Order: sequence, then C-alpha cells, then structure tokens
Amino acid sequence: MSSDALRLSGVSKAYGRVRALENMSFNVAEGRFFVLFGPSSVGKTTTLRTIAGLVPPDQGRVEIFGKDWTHEPIKGRGVSMVFQSFALYPHLSVFENFAYPLREEGIVSEEIKRRVMETATMLKLAHKVDRKPGTLSGGEQQRVALGRSLVRRPKILLLDEPLTNLDAKLRHDMRAELKRLHRQFGLTIVYATPDELEALSMGEEIAVMRDGAVVQRGTPDELYENPADTYVAGKIGAPHMNMIAAKVSKDGKSIDTPLGKFSGKQNLKTASGEKALMGIRPSDIELAGNSKSAIKSRVHLLEPLGDVTVVSVESGGETLRLVLPESKAQGLKPGDHTGITFDTNKIHIFRASSGQAIA
Amino acid sequence: MNTAVRDLPAPAMFEFDASNWKLAILAGLAISILAALALPASLSFWVIGAMAAMIAAVFAINAYRRKYYGGLLVAPAIAVLFVMNIFPLLWSLGLSFFAYQSNQQTIRFIGLNNYIKVLTNDIAAPANWDALINTGMFVVSTVAAQMIAGFLLAMLFAKQFPLRKYLLILVLTPMMLSVVASGVFFTYYYDPTFGILSYAIGEVTGEQFILMDNKLGAVTGIVFADAWMWSPFVMLLVLAGLVSVPKYLYEAAAIDRVSKWRQFWTITFPYIRGLLMLALLFRTIEAFKLYDLVYILIRGGQDTKTIAYLIAEIANEQNKTSEGAALSYVILFMVIVLTNLYLYLANRRNQGA
Repeated sequence: MSSDALRLSGVSKAYGRVRALENMSFNVAEGRFFVLFGPSSVGKTTTLRTIAGLVPPDQGRVEIFGKDWTHEPIKGRGVSMVFQSFALYPHLSVFENFAYPLREEGIVSEEIKRRVMETATMLKLAHKVDRKPGTLSGGEQQRVALGRSLVRRPKILLLDEPLTNLDAKLRHDMRAELKRLHRQFGLTIVYATPDELEALSMGEEIAVMRDGAVVQRGTPDELYENPADTYVAGKIGAPHMNMIAAKVSKDGKSIDTPLGKFSGKQNLKTASGEKALMGIRPSDIELAGNSKSAIKSRVHLLEPLGDVTVVSVESGGETLRLVLPESKAQGLKPGDHTGITFDTNKIHIFRASSGQAIA
Repeated sequence: MNTAVRDLPAPAMFEFDASNWKLAILAGLAISILAALALPASLSFWVIGAMAAMIAAVFAINAYRRKYYGGLLVAPAIAVLFVMNIFPLLWSLGLSFFAYQSNQQTIRFIGLNNYIKVLTNDIAAPANWDALINTGMFVVSTVAAQMIAGFLLAMLFAKQFPLRKYLLILVLTPMMLSVVASGVFFTYYYDPTFGILSYAIGEVTGEQFILMDNKLGAVTGIVFADAWMWSPFVMLLVLAGLVSVPKYLYEAAAIDRVSKWRQFWTITFPYIRGLLMLALLFRTIEAFKLYDLVYILIRGGQDTKTIAYLIAEIANEQNKTSEGAALSYVILFMVIVLTNLYLYLANRRNQGA
C-alpha cells in the first residue's frame, strides 16, 4: 500500500452542472509509467489538475506517497506538470524558464546554473538557453516544457497530452525520448492522452477513462486481450474490433450470428436467448480460400497501407475488416468471393444491452 | 492587373491637358509667385489658394483617368486634413514670424523676434516660464495620478466579481463625459458655500473649508478632477493587457511554486509594459494641453495658469496673435522632443527585452 506514489479514491469534481469526474479511483505504483487514456473531455486533464492541486476535488481523497494532500496547497507535493499548451513563460529566456521553479527555493545561483545546464544538455538544449521560447520550434518548446518540470526533480511528473501539438515525426521521437527519461530518472509518470498509439507504446499501465471514471485498467496486453466492455474494445487496437450482432443460443454455451454458431473459450455468464455482440479483431481473421469450413464472404473494399492491407468483406449482411500482410492481400479485387476463418478462442462476447464482456 | 488597366499614356510635359499634373504644378507655382510679388497680400492670398485648388483638381482628374482609385478614395480625407489641420498649422507657423494682432490691420515681418520675446522679454518671459513650470507640475501630477489609479482599477477589474460588467460601465462614464460637463460637476463639489466637500469637512472641523483658496488646494482639486476623468482611459489600456495573459501561465507558475509577487513581475508585467508606455505617452501629450479644467474650475486663479491657458489668454483675449503662435510652437517643439524621447526609450526597451 505504501509503495503507491499516488492514490485517488472516489474523487468527484463538477464545474457548475458539468460533471467532470465521477467517483474516480486509481493508484499508481512508484516508478510506474501510468497512462490515462480516453477521448477528449473525458476528465483526464481534470484528474491531472486535481493531482497537481490546481483544482480541489468536491469529494474524495488524493494521497501522494501515503499522505493526504486533498485540501493542501500546491507547495510541497513534489508534483510537476507539463501542459498541453507547454505554458512556457514567453518573456523569459530558456535558461530563466528552467530556473524559474528553482529561484523560489533559495538555491544559490551557481547550483541553479549547474542544474539548469545539466537538464538543458540532457535535452539537447544547451546551445539555446539564451533564446526566448517564441523563437524555438515546436519540438524544442516541448523539450523546454519537459525540462522545466524535470529540473526541480519532482517525485511525480504529470504530462497532459504533451505530444498533441507536435507533428507526426516529432511525436515518434518524443515518445522514445520520454520512455528514456522515465527509465533514467525512475520517475513516477502520469500521462494523459487521447492517442491510442501513445497509450499502448508508452504505458506500463493504462487506465481507460469514460465519463469521468476509470472503465478498465491494466497493462496494454491485458486491455488488448481482455477488454472489459465494448467501449474499451473499440478504443484499443486499430483498426477497431469488428462487432457482429449475435444472440445467445438455447444451451447458453454458444452464440448464433449471421456468420454461424460460435462458442467462446469459456462458458457464457448469461441467460439463453439474450442479445449479444461478438467481437473479433481484424488481425485475428484470415483468408481461407475456398475450403469447406470457411465462412463465405465477398471483398468489398481494399485499403493498402504499405506493409499491411485492410480488407473489408461482406458476409451474411455484416461488414468485417481484416488486416492482412501485403503479400496475402495481393490479387484481391473488390467483388471477389473468398472464404474467411478465425480462431474461436480469439472471439470476445459482450452483452448487447450493457456492453459488458461475458466471455 | 492594374498595369493593364492604366494604359492611358502620361501626357507630355507641356501638353495642355486636364490631367497634366506636372504642368499644373509648374503653372500654379509661377502664378503664385507672381501674385505674391505683384498683388497686395489680401488679393494674392486668394490667388494662391485658387492655384492650390487647381493643382488638387488636376491630380484628381489624373487619378480618375488613369484609374488610381485608391488615391481618389483617400483624396477627400487628405483635402479635409489639409484645409483643417495642415494649412492652419503652417499658417500659424508663418504668423509667428510677423508682428500681427488679429484686431489690427497691420502686419510686419520681424523674423525671430516673437520667439525671442516669449523666451527672454523681461515682462512676458517670467509669466511664460511660470506657466511652463505649472504645466510641468500638472503633467507630472495628473499623469502619475491617472497611471496609478488606472493601473489599480485595471487590476481590480481583471478579476471576476458580481456586477463587474455594470461597475465597469460606471467607471468608464467619466471618460465619455464632456470635459466642460465634468468641470461643472467639480465646481459644484468644490463650492465653498454649498459644495459637498466643503460641507463634509465643515461638519467635522466646524469651520468653513475653501478648497480653492490656496495654490495647493487648487492644484489638488484640478489634479483630482483630471484623474477622475482620465484614469478609466489608462484602466482600459492596462485591462486589455491583463486579459491577454494566458491563464495557463499562472497555473504553470503555481505548480512551479512561484510567489505572487514574482508572478506579477515575470508574467503579468511584460504583457502590460507596452500598454503602460502607450498610456503614459497619450496622457503626457494631453496633459501638456491642460486648459479646460483650469479655466472652468478656477479661471487660472491661485497661480494655476498653465502654458495652454496663457496661450489662449495671449492669443484670444489680448489679441497678440503672432506672439501666441510663437509660444505655441515652443510648446509643440517641447512635446515633440519629449514624445520622441519616450518612443526611443520604449523601443530600446522592447528590443532589449
């Protein structure tokens, strides 16, 4: 319990009539790279701001290293934050931006200089310390924002969509850079992002958020393999999981779909006759030529993406997407008839009414 | 596109054409010089005026024929500016080199004598210098009062509080009132017999209080009235700067645990510095021209005559037109030097920052 760097329990926050957080709870182990993942306006930023102390929660507790900080001022939390907008001080040089958090602590100026230059060098900004933030490129501004929050050696670093304002290539570089910094400093990081790729590639642990609360948390693999409901299934993995309307069969062990009858790897936790959804990942479907066991389908659309091709096929009135290696998709044309097959162990079954996984 | 439209060739130098502006200038100048030399002043004035109008008309025809519509569109504005501003300015500059009184018919060229008189004459100069010192004192005190009050008001109105919108309108009203109207208000406030100020202080001290019966009181009264009118102007400018500061900077500073004092100097102040300089510039130029309140509140009594007051007195009441013009140009020169100094300092700071 005490190894948790951060612990939120039952935190709620409303802005007027808009409920931003509803009974939000999670804990982050020390040194963990923790990702808050969800679309915009789901409460990620409010969560970070609550942790930082910028917003007092209406209800609930915020504990940092076992101490209750819910209604304490910002000072002393040992938390620093990188804003989506970077929030660099436009009239101060890069050096002064870095030194800003240190000046208040009464550190002697040689020590400030040493620490600033050390951080600047690490972020490859040493030759730009005299420049104003406005004269730097987006990536450099991002590194200044990062450096400013690292220079005071926080125990917890909050990152609010830090890569959203960067172009695609820089994002890729910065993802690697952030992972490296995390390893190097052993920091506890809470990282908010709406980007699935960022969440999966960087997060050691991911909390998927919806309507101001955590829907499911786990490692990237856990979320990918066992999504708790259709919401998580739809958010994690690209292209998104195929969802096919289904009905639980009389024996309660399998489901009837337009593609046929399937049974999952476990027994279904439901009554027979109930409406359900069958989910199957595009990468789990394969072409099966004209073999007898295959499900008949017709190619509908091809989207070549270089090394893979996304193939949309129609079968039994449902549209399914497949991700095929480029070599296997060669020769396919829209209108072709082809068989498809998938491992029934890979299917996910959800209750249609609530979206909860039932197998 | 425009070059294709302007296909009409320019007329030759001496071609007699309604759009030949070169010839018009030449002819206008020649006739003006001849008229100035040959005719009496009262006639040559009108001849020269007619020549100026002729040249302007030729320019307009030229612009119309060759489709310089941009020039044509600004022409009325330039004409008004010339007739109402530039011509009187140059005319009064010319007058300042003559001995001329508006109630007399004679006019005589005397070179720099007017300037020498207003600056060094034993009788005229001391009054001018006193008035100039008064103006300097009013500039410093009114501008300081406005800047401080305006800045504090802006800091107040940058925050959100109930009824803020309505109070803001209320605070801005003095700026929109006519100076004469608010001057009259203040004569009532300061009135020794029934003014609220004298009444309130009289209630406490038991003696009659007359604000305007000494110089300090009179100056205080004028400075207060001026600050009351123009602080909202400074407030508006500063407020525009304050609301342009992104809120996230303060949040970042809060997370960086920076004190409010340092937040103000490193985040807020850079955003309003330029606007403060602008307010200072505008208000200083205006303060140099302070006349209305001095006239309405005390008629220049208690040694409160400003230089603008004195100029009006010399030029309009004593009819010493050319002497007033000379004094005006001395003041104009001072204001230009001072404002350029401001702008130079402001620019240097901006480049340094």
